[in-house]
Amino acid sequence: MNAREEILGRVRANLAGVAPAPRSASTDEPGRPADLEDPARCVTRFRELLESVGGRVTIVRSEDEAREVLARRVRELGATRVVVSDAPAAGRLVGTLSGARVLASTADRAELLGAEVGVTSAQWGIAETGTLVLLSDHERSRLASLLPAVHVALLDARCILPTLGAALAAVHDGSLAGRTVTFVTGPSRTADIELTLVVGVHGPRELDVLLLDAP
Amino acid sequence: MSGHLPMETFDANARAALLDRTLNGALKRATDRFAGQRRAAIDAMPEWEAMRERAREIKAEVLADLDRYLEDFSAKAEAAGARVHWARDGDEACRLIAGIARDANGRRLVKSKSMTTEEIGLNRYMAEAARNGEEPVETDLGEWIIQLAGEVPSHIIAPAIHKTKEQIADLFVEKLVVEEGTGDIEALTAAARRVLRRHFAEADVGISGVNFAVAETGTVLVLENEGNARMCTTLPSVHVAVMGIEKLLPRFADLEVFLRLLPRSGTGQHLTSYQSLITGPKRSPDGEGPDEVHVVLLDNGRSAMLRERVTRQSLACIRCGACLNACPVYQQIGGHAYGSVYPGPIGAVITPQLAGLEKAAKLPFASSLCGACRDVCPVKIDIPELLLHLRSEIKSGKGLPHARDVSAGARSERIAFRLWSWTMRSPLRYRAAAACARLLARIGIGIPGAGAWRAGRELRPFARRSFRSRWESRGR
Repeated sequence: MNAREEILGRVRANLAGVAPAPRSASTDEPGRPADLEDPARCVTRFRELLESVGGRVTIVRSEDEAREVLARRVRELGATRVVVSDAPAAGRLVGTLSGARVLASTADRAELLGAEVGVTSAQWGIAETGTLVLLSDHERSRLASLLPAVHVALLDARCILPTLGAALAAVHDGSLAGRTVTFVTGPSRTADIELTLVVGVHGPRELDVLLLDAP
Repeated sequence: MSGHLPMETFDANARAALLDRTLNGALKRATDRFAGQRRAAIDAMPEWEAMRERAREIKAEVLADLDRYLEDFSAKAEAAGARVHWARDGDEACRLIAGIARDANGRRLVKSKSMTTEEIGLNRYMAEAARNGEEPVETDLGEWIIQLAGEVPSHIIAPAIHKTKEQIADLFVEKLVVEEGTGDIEALTAAARRVLRRHFAEADVGISGVNFAVAETGTVLVLENEGNARMCTTLPSVHVAVMGIEKLLPRFADLEVFLRLLPRSGTGQHLTSYQSLITGPKRSPDGEGPDEVHVVLLDNGRSAMLRERVTRQSLACIRCGACLNACPVYQQIGGHAYGSVYPGPIGAVITPQLAGLEKAAKLPFASSLCGACRDVCPVKIDIPELLLHLRSEIKSGKGLPHARDVSAGARSERIAFRLWSWTMRSPLRYRAAAACARLLARIGIGIPGAGAWRAGRELRPFARRSFRSRWESRGR
């Protein structure tokens, strides 16, 4: 008998001995934050939660403003290599960048590992947790959001969903096959040595969200 | 379970741990910190109890139909392009993983934190048995430190809490990670980042654990803070995800409850920094991520736990570590004393079931049955009930191939308890026995044959006259 059939057989044989437990009365959906109906509150909550774990949120009114903020950050950091995803909005952000070389996320892996800044967009935000949602089939953002020491992400405020549940429903719009969903809540962190928090252990040490809230 | 410390050294281990001042301090800091952060996080969440109940129900639902959910998961994952492998035990899982690496010409392996791969002793297998293979490099900072030191984790969430920064600095110098050791934690972490980046850049195969798998979609979810699991599941061209068969959830939407419970229970975070939800390999060749995704489904004794209602609960565990931090025994002795990858209260019930009662017969007794573990468990596992169940199985010699060894002590204990109950059932016998005990105590003789039992217990001195005899002579 092959392993699959043997394991399934064992499972069935062992399940047979126990009568199914009665379902408890409380099959209600667990409560969710009720105050997140209002989109303005969602933006505020998103910002609070992301900042509470060391993320940085800058509200910008237009793509032009976002471009200026990014240019300033790149100058401050003295970055020489910036990797950008293939999202059109991310491309427009780095379009006028001067002083740093812009790499596509298809560049050689060694080059990508040496980039100081990664620029991507994000498909959704989650207010309840201050989380960015990245979808691998919408944008080549897996490496650009992970390898550089600084990750700059552009998020449209209209894409902030109230809860984790709403975000899971949004990403599960049909088949998930071949899609990797990444939730990002703040910079990379560890407390493995004497419980002391250090940011930027493997992933980015800074997460900069440019929150596009057009009037 | 290969890859473990020798079992049944619990008493000696625990005694040594109690004398280790460095360990005592580290344990106190860690368990206080995690428990405090957990408390604060759930106090801010009024719906906590409702969520625990929902999580318990979802796990019970999965386990009651586990065969069907396994078939669903396997079909969906394969439809998404993943390869699903089934392993009856740890050795079969190790052989499968070594085979996947060999087929992919995978020379360099990186690995993120996974209790399941510790359980099956994967690293040692790859280093020794696979011969031409190379030991996977652990990339979680704590796990990497432990691997460099040739040790095993001491806590589910913080594997290296038993080490000081100075010890880690010395270790890094010895293993040529840095030239000069400083006790600066930022510098040590930066050195680890530098060295591990080289491993990530060259790796052909990435191995990860799985926190949750979804039957409805064939998705595996890996949850972390450092970003090393994202590296392991994105950079190499082959990703191998290793999971116990109990990790399934029925529906994608069920992830909500568990994503709210797990980080809060483990570290008090409202969410860990990263979750990767992976459903098969990339679809288009110019996409990012591995070309192959393999999922290894491991039984290794789990299916046997389904047999009884009491033991079935063990499979609901989501490995948050909250019961370790809450446990007065773990707080004193730490993880190594348990002699198994799964320490603390949950380890004391899982290890004997996975490894065999005869190999871990002491563990279910390493508890005061205070119930703190049950109170903090996010999926409401009744650990004290499980401990009592296993104690009774061990004492009755059930399922023990070497029952005679264990039951030699058990038999005299059983006779002693039977005698006790016979004595207590009659006032006359009780009075006679009490008079005897008083007399023996007065001339300095203890209870015969109870030396081991008395080692950790003080016998209160007997009163010269019993209460009953004083009561009876009251009126005279």
